[in-house]
Amino acid sequence: MASKKPEVWVFIEQEEGIIHPVSFELLGIAQKLAHDLEGRVGGVLLGEEVEGLIPEVFAYGAGVVYTVRHKTLRYYRHRPYAKALAEVVRRFEPEILLLGATPLGRDLAGGVATLLETGLTADVTQLSIDPQTKNLLMTRPAYGGNLMATIICPDHRPQMATVRPRIFPMPEKINGTKGEIVEVEVELTEEEAGVERIGFIPKEKSIQLELAEVIVAGGKGMGGKEGFSKLFELARLLGGEVGASRLAVEAGWISYEHQVGQTGKTVRPKVYLAIGISGAVQHRAGMQNSDCIIAINTDPNAQIFALSDLGIIGDWRKIIPLLIERIKERKGLGRN
Amino acid sequence: MDEIKTDFHYEVVIVGGGPAGLSAGIVLAKNGVKTLLIERGRFCGAKNLFGGIVYTEAIKEIIPEFPEVNPSPVERSVYEEGYIIVTEKGIVKITHTKADPQHAFTALRAKFDQFLAEYALGLGLDLAPKTKVIDFLRDDKGKIVGVVVDRPQSFKDLTPARITSQIVILAEGVNRLLSRKAGLITRDFAPEEVVLSVKEVLQLPKGEMEKRLGLKEEEGLAWEILGSISQGLPGLGFLYTNQNSLSFGIGIFLSALATVKIPPYEILEKAKAHPFFQKILANAEILEYGAHLIPEWGIKGFPKLYGKGVLACGDAVGLVNPLFREGTNLAIYSGIMAAETALSALKVGDFSEKTLAQYEEKIRSSYFYKDLLLAKELKTFLLKNPQLFTTYPELLYEALNLYFSAQGRLKQEVLKEIWRLVRRKRGVLGVIKDFINFLKLFW
Amino acid sequence: MLNLLVSIKQVPDTTNIRLNPETGTLIREGVPAIINPYDISALSLACQLKLTYGGWITVITMGPPQARLALKEAVEFFADRIILLSDRKFAGADTLATSYTLAQTIKFLTREKPFDLYLFGKQAIDGDTAQVGPGVATRLNIPVVTYVIKVEEINLAEKYVVLHRKTEKGIEILKAKLPLLLTCEKEVSSPPFSPFPLLLKAQKTEPQVFTADGPIEFLREKLGLKGSPTRVHRVYTPELKKSGQIMNLEEVGEEEAVKAILLLLEKRRIL
Ligand SMILES: Cc1cc2nc3c(=O)[nH]c(=O)nc-3n(C[C@H](O)[C@H](O)[C@H](O)COP(=O)(O)OP(=O)(O)OC[C@H]3O[C@@H](n4cnc5c(N)ncnc54)[C@H](O)[C@@H]3O)c2cc1C
Ligand SMILES: Cc1cc2nc3c(=O)[nH]c(=O)nc-3n(C[C@H](O)[C@H](O)[C@H](O)COP(=O)(O)OP(=O)(O)OC[C@H]3O[C@@H](n4cnc5c(N)ncnc54)[C@H](O)[C@@H]3O)c2cc1C
Ligand SMILES: Nc1ncnc2c1ncn2[C@@H]1O[C@H](COP(=O)(O)O)[C@@H](O)[C@H]1O
Repeated sequence: MASKKPEVWVFIEQEEGIIHPVSFELLGIAQKLAHDLEGRVGGVLLGEEVEGLIPEVFAYGAGVVYTVRHKTLRYYRHRPYAKALAEVVRRFEPEILLLGATPLGRDLAGGVATLLETGLTADVTQLSIDPQTKNLLMTRPAYGGNLMATIICPDHRPQMATVRPRIFPMPEKINGTKGEIVEVEVELTEEEAGVERIGFIPKEKSIQLELAEVIVAGGKGMGGKEGFSKLFELARLLGGEVGASRLAVEAGWISYEHQVGQTGKTVRPKVYLAIGISGAVQHRAGMQNSDCIIAINTDPNAQIFALSDLGIIGDWRKIIPLLIERIKERKGLGRN
Repeated sequence: MDEIKTDFHYEVVIVGGGPAGLSAGIVLAKNGVKTLLIERGRFCGAKNLFGGIVYTEAIKEIIPEFPEVNPSPVERSVYEEGYIIVTEKGIVKITHTKADPQHAFTALRAKFDQFLAEYALGLGLDLAPKTKVIDFLRDDKGKIVGVVVDRPQSFKDLTPARITSQIVILAEGVNRLLSRKAGLITRDFAPEEVVLSVKEVLQLPKGEMEKRLGLKEEEGLAWEILGSISQGLPGLGFLYTNQNSLSFGIGIFLSALATVKIPPYEILEKAKAHPFFQKILANAEILEYGAHLIPEWGIKGFPKLYGKGVLACGDAVGLVNPLFREGTNLAIYSGIMAAETALSALKVGDFSEKTLAQYEEKIRSSYFYKDLLLAKELKTFLLKNPQLFTTYPELLYEALNLYFSAQGRLKQEVLKEIWRLVRRKRGVLGVIKDFINFLKLFW
Repeated sequence: MLNLLVSIKQVPDTTNIRLNPETGTLIREGVPAIINPYDISALSLACQLKLTYGGWITVITMGPPQARLALKEAVEFFADRIILLSDRKFAGADTLATSYTLAQTIKFLTREKPFDLYLFGKQAIDGDTAQVGPGVATRLNIPVVTYVIKVEEINLAEKYVVLHRKTEKGIEILKAKLPLLLTCEKEVSSPPFSPFPLLLKAQKTEPQVFTADGPIEFLREKLGLKGSPTRVHRVYTPELKKSGQIMNLEEVGEEEAVKAILLLLEKRRIL
């Protein structure tokens, strides 16, 4: 065992036969880490019927897939999943184990790390290998994002982290890639699980500004409801939600649940488009931590430009319709 | 399961956990009296703010070992003290350094009041925070025999809890709802009797405060600020140094504020923007912001300080002398006097007005009562003479400006010019009149 | 009757935390210490369950001596017993060491009388790890249900509980065996309007304090910094806000502007 190539593992999160995209993102970064360690990438798939998912895991970059198949794993429950994952880790001793910082991944990781008596870093946003020590450097925001902390786990293996979704890029998918498949048997009982699912209420479709990754927000400068209907169209195309300033809400162009700011919602999307919004301090309070801010405003002195990654001085009417057109074109191409 | 008992009886109930209530509580607890103090804030001091300066002499009355206590409830000793007179063009600064800096300290209410509360708890006082007194219990003769609070009796019985007591001490501060309910006062403060104070606690990068103000590690300063700081309205500003922050605030008579309709925080913003204060406060981060009323400068004739089974102290009865920043200490002294009166009433078992009248006598024969009478006159004087807040600071500033830039000129000329300035700004007669009126206050 | 244990943490009110812009250090001054908001929900739930089913509430925390204030406040939630784990040897613990310390304490308390339900917060707002709850359950060898938003029913005779749990896709309704550890979302319960006697009692109750020196048995090498596999390697301030690219539509034209937007959307992997 000792001479075996170091492995960087990704827990492949799947529910009802669908793999969570974060797992693919992690396979991407895992490849980079494995390269630095001169090792290989492994994916761990747990479930009742998971064979069908294996090709996808290879296609996104795993060199080896470990599976545990068991009836008790037919849907996610903490104990059987934790036991199975810990067991596979014990047998094959990876250097690194990454999970998505999703509700499921975070639920699972705490138990697995305890079973393995190893360190676990939560909600990581940067990963790299220390060239000297070969330790994994896990960086995460602390104190509400006011600070960044780099955590290491020098003396215990595996080094475990849950990683925030949508931080690392989706790797290229190479269909038809082959690799090694290792089936592992773990003894599991329904009794041990201790928990049984007796019902499920799917999430209602409602706007969830706080969770949106893209927010297209409009203000007084939208001029009316018609302006906002353009924003809705754009948001739909980007898979995001529509936000608004208080003045737009007060004008009756859009409902209060869309309001961003001190007296509205606090959001932190990957991209925040502020269109016809001046950037008053009360508005900024709700959006200034967005990863990327794009502003469109006719007034070159608008405060919003001070915190924008990209500011466009001009009338949104000249930009938004064209933007919508261009995205539609791309989507049309991307499909085939 | 713990059955929680619902029947409460105390010898004394104190309403309000500010300096007045806590001082009364400390004295009573020290004397083994079964006492309950009720405070509506999350903890004592949570709902409150002040400048503030506290005087060692007063604190020693309740905590003899002060300031040698740990952890310290105060911020910095007052090493430099005085006035800053502000005009648009510049300032005049009259300050001095103290021979005994330990005589007074800057303090923040949250910490100071909590300290007193912990001290009182240690002496055996019962304390109920997050609880508001909403009414009194009375016997058939109308004597107050306890209080009703907003909290329920128990989880099962949701009626408001009732607590009986021989005496109720009201230390509810400036809002005075209960003092009114008890019949001690018949009307609210008039706008010209209260000052609205706004204050910010500001923080500078470490070491910066000491550098900008020329202070050493432990040294503090307390400046009162006069002049154009209050936008020509009758009011006063202040700047005090805390351990790691500054308190900057301004208080203006409500009556004056009502006539101009400028929001008080705007006045504070403008004051902060004055070049002199900008130099001190630049890049400071606001840690706290708050506003509070001060009942000021002696009210026309005191309210009744006692009733059947009830005594009132502190801000609730207007015991503040802002001229000398005396509020906390008067709260402490009056709290102590109320407690002492309660002690002697408990000793003889007589809670009639006759016994409780001792309290008012004590107050009336105190030094601060006389001070307050004077303060009342002073207030009338100031409200009637708005020129004091604008003309005199400007006059003083310009005169000094002339005086100190007199090189190369005939000194006689300079003095003459100053004289002309005085005549232009206020007129000789005006100055003389103001001066005489001012002096008359003290005789 | 129910025997409940609630595990709480005292945290700085992070909504109030500021950074010194020059040194990049945390300004802790004047930042009030509060009970972790999710733990408030756990305490509220405990109170609600005690009122419905009857029972006892034990509250534990590991922390510095001033964490006693958090425990005293817990009495307002109808807690019967409050326990503080405080010792320099516990200090510097990461989640692994914390869960060990808490689990050892719970095992010790269980000897007197076993608990039916262990209530934890979803996560502590200072570290946001959400690891301690599952960690303790693992060490106690009992099932755990995270992100609980509702306790529908407790059947003590048959020893099970019906819960609602929030997932990414919706709400799971679960039937779980007792004893069980659950971690609470805010929705699970709101704080009671505590009766007057409890407020008074909270002021007068002091926690029972345990150190590393017994009677609870601890392995030294599993405590505090020593027992923590993770190390903080470096702490730094995230780069300050960008001074971004500004373009004037009149100068660059519509196509260029739209291109710039598309490029950013691509970079952020929205497209
Ligand atoms: C206590 C309090 C709480 C508040 N809470 C909130 C809050 O939660 N959220 C909030 O948003 N506000 C809040 N406000 C209001 C806030 O102060 C501002 O008034 C508000 O954010 C301004 O909205 P706006 O940017 O849409 O409007 P404006 O400030 O009027 O800005 C409109 C902008 O649109 C631009 N514009 C005009 N036409 C065009 C065009 N054709 N193309 C491109 N740009 C154009 C203009 O140049 C201008 O910059 C609060 C205020 C107070 C006092
Ligand atoms: C800006 C400002 C600066 C000041 N600067 C100074 C200074 O430098 N030096 C100085 O000595 N003084 C200063 N003072 C004055 C001083 O703060 C007060 O005079 C003093 O705090 C009065 O104490 P108290 O106990 O009477 O009232 P408070 O401190 O007001 O306490 C009353 C308490 O009663 C509670 N309460 C009220 N009603 C109820 C109820 N129904 N049930 C339960 N609880 C209730 C309140 O929550 C409060 O905690 C200043 C005041 C202000 C506003
Ligand atoms: N030091 C501690 N003492 C007691 N309970 C804790 C402690 N730290 C964490 N917890 C509990 O574990 C939960 C999750 O914390 P964390 O894993 O730190 O996010 C909290 O909500 C608490 O219920």
